Formats: sequence, structure tokens, C-alpha cells
Amino acid sequence: MEIEIISFGKISEFINNQKLSIDVESTDDLKTHLEKIFPQLVGMKYKLALNKNIVQHNCAIKDNDSIAIMPPFSGG
Amino acid sequence: MESQQRLADAKVLVIGAGGLGCPALQYLVAAGVGCIGVADHDVVELSNLQRQVLYGIDDIGLLKVDVAAKRLQQMNPESKLILHPTSINKNNVIEIISNYNLIFDGTDNFESRYLINDACTLLKKSLVFAAVSGFEGQIAVFNTPDEQKTITNYRDLFPVQPNANEIPNCAENGVLGVLPGIIGTMAAGEIVKLITGIGKPLINKLLHYNLLNQEQYEINISPSDEYKQVTASDLMNNTAESVLSSYTEIDAESMLELSKKKSTLLIDVRERHEFPKLNPTTYQQIPMSEFDVFAASDIVADNIILLCQHGIRSVAAAEKLHSIYGDSKKIYSLKGGIAKWRNHF
Repeated sequence: MEIEIISFGKISEFINNQKLSIDVESTDDLKTHLEKIFPQLVGMKYKLALNKNIVQHNCAIKDNDSIAIMPPFSGG
Repeated sequence: MESQQRLADAKVLVIGAGGLGCPALQYLVAAGVGCIGVADHDVVELSNLQRQVLYGIDDIGLLKVDVAAKRLQQMNPESKLILHPTSINKNNVIEIISNYNLIFDGTDNFESRYLINDACTLLKKSLVFAAVSGFEGQIAVFNTPDEQKTITNYRDLFPVQPNANEIPNCAENGVLGVLPGIIGTMAAGEIVKLITGIGKPLINKLLHYNLLNQEQYEINISPSDEYKQVTASDLMNNTAESVLSSYTEIDAESMLELSKKKSTLLIDVRERHEFPKLNPTTYQQIPMSEFDVFAASDIVADNIILLCQHGIRSVAAAEKLHSIYGDSKKIYSLKGGIAKWRNHF
């Protein structure tokens, strides 16, 4: 299946917005997979949003879903 | 007219009179907000002027809250301005925030942002959050019930405070001045909407804005199962965060005392273009951009005191050194930085 990845802030420096062909069933699976292909994510604070809703617990992923990867910003 | 009266009756606290705070303050005062608190402990620096538009060349070295108050009062003498020339900390946060209906967080570091969030959550104060990074901004409205009476706070989004060395700050990373101008103005728009009850404020939503392509991306925030309500004693004791004591934050008196000890290095981690310049025979300059090489170079000294402009980068440097040398060296960071202890240099 194919999912859309949208990244923000510092994370967009190493993960481009892209369509990713991948076989994962849930957001937890996806997280593990992302941290394997983008090791810079390990140890960083970030949050996922699935179809524009924040991911607070493991959620099922379907074909054509969009996933946003967001770091916290502190600058002012 | 009713909306104008609501603005006149509102009491808004703007924390941080910097890149985000300046435009927000200008529009809140212009809109006729009746009472505005301004909290900031910093003085105006040359490097602030590209984004902190309330200040000019002649204001360098003056307290931001004083300069801001003067300019704002000229714009609208009817707004009552209350100045808090102090850094918001665990000892004063509850007292300061209690006096206002609505809080705007325009600070520049995670420690303040988490503290303000926790205090607003505890006191059930509406919090307008705005932050920038590179060419992007984030805005959200917390501690405000939506139509379903759902309430969220910043910890529902990012439960744990990042380490100081995870994310660079504006002074180190640089930011195009117009970005905080846009985000601070959008935040002022949210504040006016909340006060007057018009439109749809970003309650339980996080808006991402990208200056480079003018794209916006909005996500819905729901309460986290992990989040545990912070109590007043958590706040006072800093137990909301499990801070590892890998380094010690010290004041300028302790720094000067410690510097007399044998085998002690004083290191200024600011970039070479920053002012004021310090005496190079006392303070070795190793900018953050070159710090990794230095950190890995088998440092001989036993005691290392790190300093920068505001004590944010020096904490990141302290964490870096601790990750390499562990407890084999004593590592210190000057809390508040050179800006706070100007007379000691």
C-alpha cells in the first residue's frame, strides 16, 4: 500500500514529503519502520498525526492515508 | 461595540517581548485590549532588531519591557500596561499568571514553555501558544474547552520536554525576521477571536505555517492517555520533569569564585560575531558550531564553566560534555548567560 508522508521543522531536513510504498498495519509499526530507515528520528521528540488527527495510541493504517511527522518548536 | 467592550475588559499577559511578542503586543494594544501584562527579563541587543520591531538602535542595552511600554503607550494611552521585568520561573509563575484571563506564550525556550503550560493548566487559564523554527511556525490554543467541552494542553501534543541540545534556538539557528512577525500577528488574531467570541479559534488544533511556500497544515489534538495532571507541588519541585543532574547551573558570583580554582576552563560558546566580546585570555571562545570537535579533543581541565548570551546554548554544551566525560569532570553553565550578568564581565 501507499501512504503519504508529510514532515515539519528539523525533521523535514532528512525526511522529504513523499509517497511511501510500505506494508505496515498500524502507526506503531510505521514508527518502528521510520526509525529504521531514518535513524536520526531515534531519540528525537516527535508526534505523528494520521489523516490530520494526532496519534495518541496505536491506530490502524489504510492505503492512501497521510501521516504527518512533527517535532516541537521552541523559538520566539 | 459589544466586542470592543470585551476587548477593553480583557486582561492579557504576553510572556516574551521578542520576535513573537512584539507584533502581538502592537496589535493587542491597537485593538484596544484594556490591560496587558508584558513579561521579559532581557535587554535589547543589536541582533534582536531584525525581528523585534518595537525596538531601535538607541534602545540597545535598555530593558525590553521599558522600551516596549513606552512605544505601546504612545500607540494607545488607554491600554493599561503592567510590566514584569523578570524571567518567569517556578517561584513566580503562579502569582504572575493568576492576574490575567488569557496568556500568550511567545518565549524562546522549552523550559519556559513547559512551565507556562503547566501553570496555565493548573490555573485553567486559556493559553495561546506560538513558536517558530527555521522558516516554519506553530500556533495552538490550549486549556480552552471546545464545543464538546474537550480541553487539551501542550503536553497532550509533546508530553516530555526535549533536552536543550535537541533543538537549536533562534540566536543559534537564525530566523527570518518576518516569520515571527507573521506568527505573532496570527497569535494576536487568535487572542482577539477568543476575547470577542468571533470565528473559530485554533482550540485543540495545531496549525503549522511554512513561510517558504505559504502552506498551512492543521491537525486536531485530542487528550493523551499518558498525560497526568500537574500539581502545584510538581511545579514547585520541578518533578514534572525528571531532570538529570549532569551539570550545574550557577550564577555569576559562583562563576568568578570557581574560576579561581586550579584546572578550570571558562568557555564562551557564542558565535564569533556576537557582542559583547569577552577578554580572550580569561574566556576561551569555542562557538557551538565548532563545539563537537572541541568536546571530542581529550580536554585536560577538571572543571569546565560554559557561558553564552542567555544560558540556553551553554546548557546544550554542558549536556554534550557530560555525554562524553560523564561525571569525571565538573561541568557548569552560567544561568541566564552574559545578558543577565552584564556587570560581571
